[in-house]
Amino acid sequence: MKTKNNPLYYILFIAIFAILLPAGYLSGLLSVNTISVWGRYFCFAIAALGIDLIWGYTGILSMCQAFFFCLGSYGIAMHLLLKKTVAAGAVLPDFMAWNKIDTLPLFWQPFHSFGWSLALCLLIPALFAFVVGFVLFRSRIKGVYMAIITQALTLAMWLIFLRNETNLGGTNGLTDFNTLLGYNLSSSSVKLALYMISFAVLCAAYFFCYRITNSKFGKVLQAIRDSESRISYAAYKVVDYKLAVFVVAALLAAVGGMLYLPQTGIITPGRMDVKASVEMVMWVALGGRSNLKGAVLGALLVNFLYSICTSLFPDSWLFILGFLFVITVLYFDKGFMGLLETIKQKISAARFKTPQTTH
Amino acid sequence: MLMCCLLLLPLKVAAQDSASIYTAQLLQPTNDSVRTQAIGRLAALRIPATFPLLMAINDKKLYLLDHKAVTVDSKPTGEGTYRLYSLYPDNRLLTNSSGQPLLLPLSALQTVDIPRADRLQLAGIAPLMNLFSNDAQKRILAYTQLKNAGDSATLPILQAALAKETNADARRTGKDVLYAARLYSATSTATAKAYIDSIGDNWSDNAPVLLRNYAKAGFLNQETAHYAAAKAISLEKRYDSLQRIQNFFSGLSLGSILILIALGLSIVYGLAGIINMAHGEFMMIGAYTTYCTQVFFTHTLGIPQTDLFFLAALPLSFMVAGAMGWILERLVIRHLYAKPLESLLATWGVSLILIQTARLLFGDLTAVKTPQLLSGGWQVSPHLTLPYNRIFIIVLTLLMVVFTYLMLYRSRLGLQIRAVTQNRQMSACLGIETRRVASITFFIGSGLAGLAGCAITLIGNVVPDMGQTYIVDSFLVVVTGGVGKLAGTIFSGLGIGFFTKISESFFQAVYGKVFILVFIMLFMQYKPKGLFPDKGRVAED
Amino acid sequence: MRNAFLKQLPILLLGATALFSSCNNSAGKAGSSDSATSKETVKIGVLHSLSGTMAISEVSLRDAVQMAVDEINAKGGVLGKQIEPVIVDPASDWDLFAEKAKELLIDKKVSAVFGCWTSVSRKSVLPVFEQNNGLLFYPVQYEGEECSNSVIYTGATPNQQLIPAAEYLMSEKGGGYKKFYLLGTDYVFPRTANKILKAYLLSKGIPKENIIEEYTPFHHQDYQTIISKVKRFAADGKACILSTINGDSNVPFYKEFANQGLSAATCPIMAFSVAEDELRSMDTEFLVGHLAAWNYFQSNDLPENKKFVADFKAFCAKKGLPGGDKRVTDDPICWAYTGVYLWAKAAEKAGSFDVSKVRNALYGLDYPSPDGLVKMDPRNHHLAKPVVIGEIKPDGQFDIIWKSEGLVDPQPWSPLTSPDKDCDWVNHNGTYAKK
Repeated sequence: MKTKNNPLYYILFIAIFAILLPAGYLSGLLSVNTISVWGRYFCFAIAALGIDLIWGYTGILSMCQAFFFCLGSYGIAMHLLLKKTVAAGAVLPDFMAWNKIDTLPLFWQPFHSFGWSLALCLLIPALFAFVVGFVLFRSRIKGVYMAIITQALTLAMWLIFLRNETNLGGTNGLTDFNTLLGYNLSSSSVKLALYMISFAVLCAAYFFCYRITNSKFGKVLQAIRDSESRISYAAYKVVDYKLAVFVVAALLAAVGGMLYLPQTGIITPGRMDVKASVEMVMWVALGGRSNLKGAVLGALLVNFLYSICTSLFPDSWLFILGFLFVITVLYFDKGFMGLLETIKQKISAARFKTPQTTH
Repeated sequence: MLMCCLLLLPLKVAAQDSASIYTAQLLQPTNDSVRTQAIGRLAALRIPATFPLLMAINDKKLYLLDHKAVTVDSKPTGEGTYRLYSLYPDNRLLTNSSGQPLLLPLSALQTVDIPRADRLQLAGIAPLMNLFSNDAQKRILAYTQLKNAGDSATLPILQAALAKETNADARRTGKDVLYAARLYSATSTATAKAYIDSIGDNWSDNAPVLLRNYAKAGFLNQETAHYAAAKAISLEKRYDSLQRIQNFFSGLSLGSILILIALGLSIVYGLAGIINMAHGEFMMIGAYTTYCTQVFFTHTLGIPQTDLFFLAALPLSFMVAGAMGWILERLVIRHLYAKPLESLLATWGVSLILIQTARLLFGDLTAVKTPQLLSGGWQVSPHLTLPYNRIFIIVLTLLMVVFTYLMLYRSRLGLQIRAVTQNRQMSACLGIETRRVASITFFIGSGLAGLAGCAITLIGNVVPDMGQTYIVDSFLVVVTGGVGKLAGTIFSGLGIGFFTKISESFFQAVYGKVFILVFIMLFMQYKPKGLFPDKGRVAED
Repeated sequence: MRNAFLKQLPILLLGATALFSSCNNSAGKAGSSDSATSKETVKIGVLHSLSGTMAISEVSLRDAVQMAVDEINAKGGVLGKQIEPVIVDPASDWDLFAEKAKELLIDKKVSAVFGCWTSVSRKSVLPVFEQNNGLLFYPVQYEGEECSNSVIYTGATPNQQLIPAAEYLMSEKGGGYKKFYLLGTDYVFPRTANKILKAYLLSKGIPKENIIEEYTPFHHQDYQTIISKVKRFAADGKACILSTINGDSNVPFYKEFANQGLSAATCPIMAFSVAEDELRSMDTEFLVGHLAAWNYFQSNDLPENKKFVADFKAFCAKKGLPGGDKRVTDDPICWAYTGVYLWAKAAEKAGSFDVSKVRNALYGLDYPSPDGLVKMDPRNHHLAKPVVIGEIKPDGQFDIIWKSEGLVDPQPWSPLTSPDKDCDWVNHNGTYAKK
């Protein structure tokens, strides 16, 4: 980014989410629900970072991040469900028993072990992203074509996950978990811990993405975004770069999904329908594209607004959100971050009245 | 036969008399048990002349008008009034003094309440009675129910019913029963074969099953059994080929819907290079315009049963959706031509707003009444019905494609649109008002979506988020065909329509859809820029 | 410059805290503003989607709950307290259902929640209610195979809707149908419903080849292929369709059915998810003569029901809700409304709003609902009620053609598919294995 990295953002961010919110909860000012809700927003923010990498920095509009997010969630959900089933002395999760299945499907087997589950949660999305990316990038599909094909892919996956035959719970998805690694998911301290873990992972992911975007690799990505043909004339293997960043973005989405599951307690194919996959891109667009802070801010803010508006204005919240989208795009084309920058400049200009300080 | 009738005649007269007595008892019973008994007797007598009366009892549609038993049509004529029929001794339409059908509301009639237990006595002869029903569907059902009851007592009744049968379907079903009864009672191979042929020619829905059963039973001899089996197979083969035509037609109709939706999208995308997520919502606007037109015609103008509203709705939905598109272009899209991906966000926001507005205005599930002209179907052959509404959509699509073609390739505006699509700056330099062209294009594109919405009310319902159902599909059509390419849109729309229908007849509907998506992905490998990519230097950015 | 921002930090932090705490309480305040009386109130949650795909069905249930609450409040409330509904919009988003449930139970501390329509939304909130000792009144017919201590199921179990319908169709009076096409939207209710129906039909000697099961995706619009399959299946008569097709797929389905020349006389459709509210502004021409099985129809001529229907229309007109006095009642609306009264009656009986006391008071509780006297099961959380089968009339109402003798007891575990299980919260701990 051209603008100087102002540590104020980081300080403010950490102060609010790492100190203020937990303190608010511990002092009884905020309920554990608030903590847990914000923990979930962090997971979205992690996925949003991935979208910013691939869309904001590389210029590939991928609409299947919601699917990768779900892959992560489903993996952990399968593990939790198996643990619960085994603890209850059964062989099969409830929904399978009702569907008259007598043996655990083969692909469920590895999810008995937490380690394997973690590995598969990352491995499967990565592999999937690699294959899809390889196929798509090799045939030089880009722009809108890329967006619509990935959207169609998500749609196809959504349809498949909705089926009962896939043994992933169909429309109802997977739900009703009690423990993770022996910790009771409904206890407040576990929720706080998950919140803190999500926060820490978000910070780590941010740092990771920050390093990427400022490395040579990141510069190449931005060059691909700005002019793909020119960078390929310069003998860069564009496909390799795109593929790498696609896999990284998929991994980030999956990590978000993995953390999301224990805090929400349910994963359904609804998380990856057309609406959900467009919304994920919206977070980044609203926060500010090509701006990692913007991605995080966008994900947090949009979801926060979604939560409170559906409670406060149950009848009209769609208007509020809709107008927000339109107005942001029309007047603040750099998203919230752009808006913040402008306000910052205005404030400092008003304070010092000296034009030199603004630049 | 004649002898038989003559012999029966005195008996019949006696029965007629007792029927009159029972009928009178039934309508003015001295007590409940008298009525119960009267109905029981009437049911046992099985006199066709009393059937309309018994049917009216069974359907709970027995009324008294001036102490005479009457019944009403199943549907009111429009303003809540019904046509009346006398029941016994003759069954005819009642007319007023000027010879017009007598129309009365139910409130003008005295309802005769027959207890449920009494009505149940009629269950046994329900099929026989229904042979004389005014409702063709009921007669068809009655014939089907008679299928295995071709005994000597019911056969004459069946023949009597067939003699005055007017509905082709019903006659076909009825003949089937008659032939089957004759076939099973046939004593010579030649007669049996003749009846097998008759059944084959008649070709009812049930014919293959019937023939197969006959063949399995080996009723007369091996020869007839083989003959019946062969006939059944040939009938099924013919049926299968008709089924293929039906599938082809389904694919064509699905394809034309997709084309209709994608046409506007393709033009707009080609010109402005923006992903219009609100395109589906313009379709929704068109559908609601149709709905409003209908409400306006029936409630405000007070014309209840007319197809006129649909004729009015077609241009109206185009104009209203087009106007909305034009406003959207003016207010939002205009500022975003340089930023295609931002426009995705803005139009998504617009679509949210439009959906919620529709929900607040109209609240819930609504559906447009299909125009009388377009309901039902064209009976090509006994087993091939092509619904009129789908034929209409195909024709409409054809017209719109021609319109779009003429507009794009044979008009000055089209030339300008194509110029702006190819190179906005250069066109501007050459003196084309790119903004005006963009506005008009948006108007036409959105109008086409509105028209698609209007057409879709013929096959589906009108809900606020109906646009979302079609949006991904129509994007796929645009992408597969090549952005902004008329021919591409048509080919890919039809292609996707056919493939979906073909795969649906092998897989279940869900997998059919997945199969199509995978297929398109693989297709894009081969043609990454769609069926009709830009040629030459334009292709590389 | 950096210094200047650091100086602002405390102010910003303060602002942020204010924001978080405000979002905690604000919804409660918004709800309480209209009950200006200083009377004590008791909060209930209303968790029905007001936007998204399910809004079409669920908005009516919110209206029914609101009406029951207004009525009870006008009569002086429950235990001397006015009821204060906290209405939220879970937006047909299953994750948001869980979040809103937590918000209602933990932040708003509501005494009971009335909500959900789809199975998935119920499954989504179920753990939340169980962990936080909440009580959910669920008003929609469902697939059974569940027996939660935290849910009061006022809708039908499979045996209160599916089995009587199939039985009726097979009976002499119902038409003596011998072939069954089980068609549904692909989700849990149709899947389970068809599993139970299939087991039932097989047990009644219907051969396997005479039963076809098929599912379509949500919002499926193109029924051409399926109808031609049905046509072939129904060719030799005696065939009927048992439909669990949901929501907006129904209109295209019935339209295509009629257009390809099929009709209620040749092949009737028995629907389990089509009620008056869906038929309200639909073009019913194509549906006339087809059947539906429920526990309640608006055409029920009990005086209680006549009053209920009139009140509901008046309520919608008064509140200026879309549809106004053209609104109709139907099965889920009836049970959503009854649910509030059941809760109020149980709370009065228990003398407390405490969830476990209310729950205990509910066992065996009876209430004169618009559908006649209904009775809570004495051992589990389901409602015993009558079963009715109706024929669709041109005005979108149902002609009741069959009614069960008395109340039908609920069976959350169908003896056909889970013969070894039963649900009992009085003598057992919920679901138990039958000896």
